[in-house]
Amino acid sequence: MLTAQGITVRYGDKTVVDGVSFSLREGEWLMLAGPNGAGKSTLVSALSQGAAYAGKIELDGRDLRAYKPSELARKVGVLSQGHEAGYAFTVEEIVSLGRYAYRGGFLSGRDKDGEKRINQALADTGMDAMRKKSVLTLSGGEMQRAFLAQVFAQSPQILLLDEPANHLDLIYQKHIFSLIRDWLSLPGRAVLSVVHDLSLAKRYGTDAILMSGGKAVAQGGINAVFTPENLDRVYGMDVYGWMRDSLKQWE
Amino acid sequence: MKSERFRWYTYGLFSLALFGAMLLCVCAGSVSVPAGDTLSVLWNALCGKPSPDGISGAIILSVRLPRVFCVALIGAALSLCGAAMQGLLRNPLADGSTLGVSSGASLGAVMAIAFGVSIPSLPYAGTMAMAMLFAFLSLMLILFLAYLLDKSLSTSSIILIGVIFSMFASSVISLIIAFAGEKLKSITFWTMGSLSGSNYAYALILALALLICGAVILRCSQELNAFAVGEDNARSVGVPVRRVKLTILIAVSVLIGISVSVGGTIGFVGLVTPHIARMIVGPNHKKLLPASMFSGAVFLLLADLVGRTLVSPIELPIGVVTSLVGSVIFVIVFYKNRRKG
Amino acid sequence: MLRKSVSILLLLAILLSASFALADGAGITVTDMKGREITLDKPATRIVALTAADCEILCALGAGDTLVGRGTYCDYPESVLEAPAVDSGAGTNVEQIIALEPQVVLMNTMAQTLEQVEALENAGIKVVVSEATDIASVYEAIGLIGALTGKNAEAGEMVAEMQAAFAEITANSENAGKTVYFEVSPLQWGLWSAGKNTFMDEIATMCGLTNAFADVDGWGEISEEQVLARDPDYIVTITMYYGEGPTPVEEIKSRAGWENLKAVKSDAIFGADSNEISRPGPRLADAARALYEFVGGEAADN
Repeated sequence: MLTAQGITVRYGDKTVVDGVSFSLREGEWLMLAGPNGAGKSTLVSALSQGAAYAGKIELDGRDLRAYKPSELARKVGVLSQGHEAGYAFTVEEIVSLGRYAYRGGFLSGRDKDGEKRINQALADTGMDAMRKKSVLTLSGGEMQRAFLAQVFAQSPQILLLDEPANHLDLIYQKHIFSLIRDWLSLPGRAVLSVVHDLSLAKRYGTDAILMSGGKAVAQGGINAVFTPENLDRVYGMDVYGWMRDSLKQWE
Repeated sequence: MKSERFRWYTYGLFSLALFGAMLLCVCAGSVSVPAGDTLSVLWNALCGKPSPDGISGAIILSVRLPRVFCVALIGAALSLCGAAMQGLLRNPLADGSTLGVSSGASLGAVMAIAFGVSIPSLPYAGTMAMAMLFAFLSLMLILFLAYLLDKSLSTSSIILIGVIFSMFASSVISLIIAFAGEKLKSITFWTMGSLSGSNYAYALILALALLICGAVILRCSQELNAFAVGEDNARSVGVPVRRVKLTILIAVSVLIGISVSVGGTIGFVGLVTPHIARMIVGPNHKKLLPASMFSGAVFLLLADLVGRTLVSPIELPIGVVTSLVGSVIFVIVFYKNRRKG
Repeated sequence: MLRKSVSILLLLAILLSASFALADGAGITVTDMKGREITLDKPATRIVALTAADCEILCALGAGDTLVGRGTYCDYPESVLEAPAVDSGAGTNVEQIIALEPQVVLMNTMAQTLEQVEALENAGIKVVVSEATDIASVYEAIGLIGALTGKNAEAGEMVAEMQAAFAEITANSENAGKTVYFEVSPLQWGLWSAGKNTFMDEIATMCGLTNAFADVDGWGEISEEQVLARDPDYIVTITMYYGEGPTPVEEIKSRAGWENLKAVKSDAIFGADSNEISRPGPRLADAARALYEFVGGEAADN
């Protein structure tokens, strides 16, 4: 569905993402992993047209830059890392913004599907009871769910998620990740996400790119990428040992 | 979903309040004209009959009425611009005066007068065109500088640059006035505003500008909602970010430019009234923009009424009244919000 | 004859009250208009004058050659433009003034700070404050400047001439009950008028007119509708004309709602010379004469 070739992002003379290529196929959940500063979030920005990049990104065989913003929004939904709504919008208003791309022109018809999709997204994310609440009063986790509901309401084919588990407590981590997996189970869909928690990545991902210093160090199936050698090299520590050790705390 | 826009009766209520304020401002003034006389002058004018004898006809029809129209339109325009910029930049302190756009427009107008920029056969066009152009250029410059300083266009950096730019523009104005000498003696007009030059021609120009630019801005309500949540969010839900931004900035510059060339720099209207409106109707621009326009018109009408009548026969510059009242209201609103949030 | 001797008496009184010019051979001691005593060894030959009126007085006394620097707004008579300009008002620059090596700086207190005055005095420059707020104090300023430059006799003559001019106007004016509205700034920028305690108000009184805005103190922005309601017999505008568009007088006549004013109907609108009528200098007499002729001419027509 989505192919990227030689994506490079420079801020000034600093190269943040350096020649990353990959392709995202239907049914895939591609995990971007790597230490802080590896360029994961910047890569997501480039994919969502938020950062200027060199290289080529194609969506369904067409250059991403050639899409109109509303066309693109109907195909790709983005959940970014930080949310700080400046004003007291209600959850419902935030979620209904997800239907922006479906809103007809000035005189053409209304978005008939909209209300249903919004209600569904609110219900799926467990935000239904809070639909009239101001986003300024939400906790970090509730805020993240509200914006996830917005992306769901947008009904895209590809989800780009930057740290979807950010601010979420365990229940909602599990809840949201299962939701995304369910969402992915329908045909014609794919997910790309930045995930810090390697256990979560390993558990839900089908594929992975391991990034370090802006470069893709390893990519492919999740288990082929998350090998002890790869992880040790990228993180500079014995990741497997640490994970097993952490797990022992629970025995 | 059902309450995203105002119902017709809400608009009716707003219009009634605006009409009431306008009527009050036509009836009250520095010279006291009995309300009955005022109404009969208005009624005769509506019916196309000549005014009754005496000075009241001239006062009502030539002085107060055009002024009330201009004041209401400028109030609505500045308030709409403030609301739009506060949404667009996701910055509750944004406004023509805090961002330095008004000073930029003044600079343009002063230059037009000092260097004799005029468009033949269109009496005010040269000044207005320069005011609009400079409003836009200064807005672009301020945003560019703020962007260099801080890519997220945060509240403090953009206001800081706006204030610095305002000072810069004011000093250039002083400089031009010093060199142009007597021709531009009335520096108070450019710093405090004055609406005493109001006439029906100005009111007509303002009304046309507000009709066109207002429609453009109101049509962008949903886009402004997206911007108010965040520019990244706006992009990801499919808003054509650059085009919408440019459209709104141009519309805002035109409105501020025309308002400044008619009434000078009038501060705080665009800052305070959208705040009050937001407290009452919420941040959704589908309601916020119309509510800001109506409340801006009423606010400026009342401020002008105070300026005209408080120390009669002296007239206080409108900018003094709005800044005085506005800053007090602003502090109250600001602290209330802080305590709540 | 009688009038002349009265004015000489008056002049003497003024000379005494201004208490200057004790030329005792050793030097000149004057008291300036802030009550400060200044002593000079001999009449000043290098003077910087920051206000337009002081420049006018200096030149009218025949001491124009002492002017080594002038404020930016000083523009009359044309000869003063030859002296280098220094920033005045809020932008007064002490260094610029010191560089001109004057013996005396003439200024008013409006925009100068004490620090600036001290800095000048530390540089060995005498600072003399002239600050005329009414016609009587203009005489005082003339006497003061005459004493500084050793032109006491000329100063006395000038004051006598001004007094004679004003006295003649006062004696011949028959305008009792007529009102005048002074327009300082046109409608476009907000109407400003001159109220009581202004030179315009004093001149109006000499001409037998009542200032329509005598209830305003000094200059103030007034309501347009007040002008309409007060319906003055005369309008005097001091707006300058720049050779484009309607003249200030035409502009007033064309204002909506003003067409029924007495002054507009009888064409009694006078474009006065703004500098003559607002600067505390010798040309106030010219301004008074011009207004007198205008309203006198009107009276003769009626």
